[in-house]
Amino acid sequence: MAFGAKRGTRQPVEPGAAAARATAGPLNRILGPAGSIRREKSKFLLIAFIPVMALFWIIRVIPIMWLLGLSFGNYSLKRVSSVFVGMRNYSRLLSDDQFILAIKNTLEFVIISVPVVIILGMLFALLMNRKLRFEGAYQTFFFLPFIISTVPAAIIFKWIYAPGTVGLANYLLTIVGLPRVAWLSNPKITILAVIILYVWKNLGYYVVVFLVGLKNIAQELREAAQVDGASLWQATWSIELPLMRPLILFGTVYATISAMAVFTVVYVMSQGTDVSAGTQITVLATEIYQEGFVYGNMGYASAVAAVLFVISLLAVLIQFRALNRE
Amino acid sequence: MSTNAMRTSVHVPSRMRWGRVVLNLVLLVSGLVMLFPLVWAVTTSFKPSIEIVTLAPTIIPHTWTLENYVKIPNVAPFLRFFLNSLIISGISTVFVIGGSTSAGYVFAKYHFRGRDALLVMVIATIIIPMESYVIPLFLTIKTLGWVNSYAGIIYPTIIMSTGIFFLRQSILTVPDELIDAARIDGSSEFGVLRNVIFPTSSSAIAAIAIVNWVFTWSLFLWPLIVASSTNMFTMEIGLMFFQREYITDYGGTMAATVVTMIPIVIFFLIFRRSIIEGIAMQGMSGV
Repeated sequence: MAFGAKRGTRQPVEPGAAAARATAGPLNRILGPAGSIRREKSKFLLIAFIPVMALFWIIRVIPIMWLLGLSFGNYSLKRVSSVFVGMRNYSRLLSDDQFILAIKNTLEFVIISVPVVIILGMLFALLMNRKLRFEGAYQTFFFLPFIISTVPAAIIFKWIYAPGTVGLANYLLTIVGLPRVAWLSNPKITILAVIILYVWKNLGYYVVVFLVGLKNIAQELREAAQVDGASLWQATWSIELPLMRPLILFGTVYATISAMAVFTVVYVMSQGTDVSAGTQITVLATEIYQEGFVYGNMGYASAVAAVLFVISLLAVLIQFRALNRE
Repeated sequence: MSTNAMRTSVHVPSRMRWGRVVLNLVLLVSGLVMLFPLVWAVTTSFKPSIEIVTLAPTIIPHTWTLENYVKIPNVAPFLRFFLNSLIISGISTVFVIGGSTSAGYVFAKYHFRGRDALLVMVIATIIIPMESYVIPLFLTIKTLGWVNSYAGIIYPTIIMSTGIFFLRQSILTVPDELIDAARIDGSSEFGVLRNVIFPTSSSAIAAIAIVNWVFTWSLFLWPLIVASSTNMFTMEIGLMFFQREYITDYGGTMAATVVTMIPIVIFFLIFRRSIIEGIAMQGMSGV
């Protein structure tokens, strides 16, 4: 429909159009008479909105329900048919050491990395929100690791953690006289190494989100409090942070969900290293990949994915409860 | 009054000046720590191999060499990977802009039964990680015969729930009078979108486009599952396989890593303001 062609012709005057309107009676009643604003809106809903919402259902809503269905079957990439197996996948999870390890690692990852990125993110945002001359440069320094993609970041860190004297991390440790660390061959340490990488990579995001939030709080509020005799610390603690509460909630929820589903850093860190298979770390998302796409056990992998889904949902609900309590 | 102003302007700054020096120093040092791994990767990529595996590495190479870069095209088609990433992010972003704008417009300005329930669903899907439903998504594209194709890789990225919600928030602030005026002038709804919504919400739309671009560019798990042949690899996947093959060739791996980072860093330096704004606004919309 060319814009302008219909300018000023909202009421069609041609008799033909009137006849067409009469024959399309039921259609007009639903969609509105031809040329009317209501008709235009109906048309827009049909042509633009409904297709987008259909795609939304097909790509987002239905797969989530389908996932839950799959988790009760034994669908496999190697087999054509799938049989309903009830809770068997879920009961198998409970006795699967690899899965229990994945849950433990995932929770450890979340419990350490989320508070660290939120607290450091807020700290640096507060420091930067002081009308500094080089604020743009500082922001860029913190944001660059976030903007580069995860694979290059993980590969750089993998090399920094390289064993023996090759890796920079161990080199720096020897300079200060500390013993070398087996960063990538002891699973207990590897998870910390991955968390360091993850925090380095994502910190800039939280700094920027919190910084923009702080800027939206009138600077005058804090300054007025300081003029009234409040210390900088008091002004920050009792004025800025309470106003930042919604954003802290958002940050915590977002950080939790992304850490819960962490895949790339873990996968790249444990791929192609010369360490033995037993030292690889596993989290829920790598477990889904391994079971579903390496072994082809789609049903069982769906049960793992359903657990990830439910835990994420629970974490979000708990945080909303805790942080929204007035 | 004037003496008061004098007092603050004499006392506070002298105390604050030192505070600011310390503050700047703290931020500079932490900023450099953040930057250091990237700088280290870049300078290493220009070192000859004897300078890389050494007991006393230096930040700046003694001799600069391009040998690590020269060999890349012989071992992996990074130009092809780059074009693949470009095609995937480009097509996805076109879909996301169109879909998010029209759906955001309807959610903001139309009134019909079920609208709010639908919007709640959109918001709910924002918080569900895609990693948890890759299996049904994969079964979908397998049924459609899209495994190892652009269509398959792009498929789940064409709908961006955050984009729909975020543009709805933004379009809410467009005055109804502007829209009604265009309608009374006989404009179709697509005309309203083009002549009223696009101009008034352009910065929000740009923000969504950029965020989606960065997001699709860094996708990993999904293309890892879908792309099975080298000619469908994105830069991320290509780099991962490169480093797996050349695990001990640190110089070559760093050069390939730098090559992979260049496009997105350039993109960032050009759109720095919009990217930071867009990413922050996502947080602002209070998801």
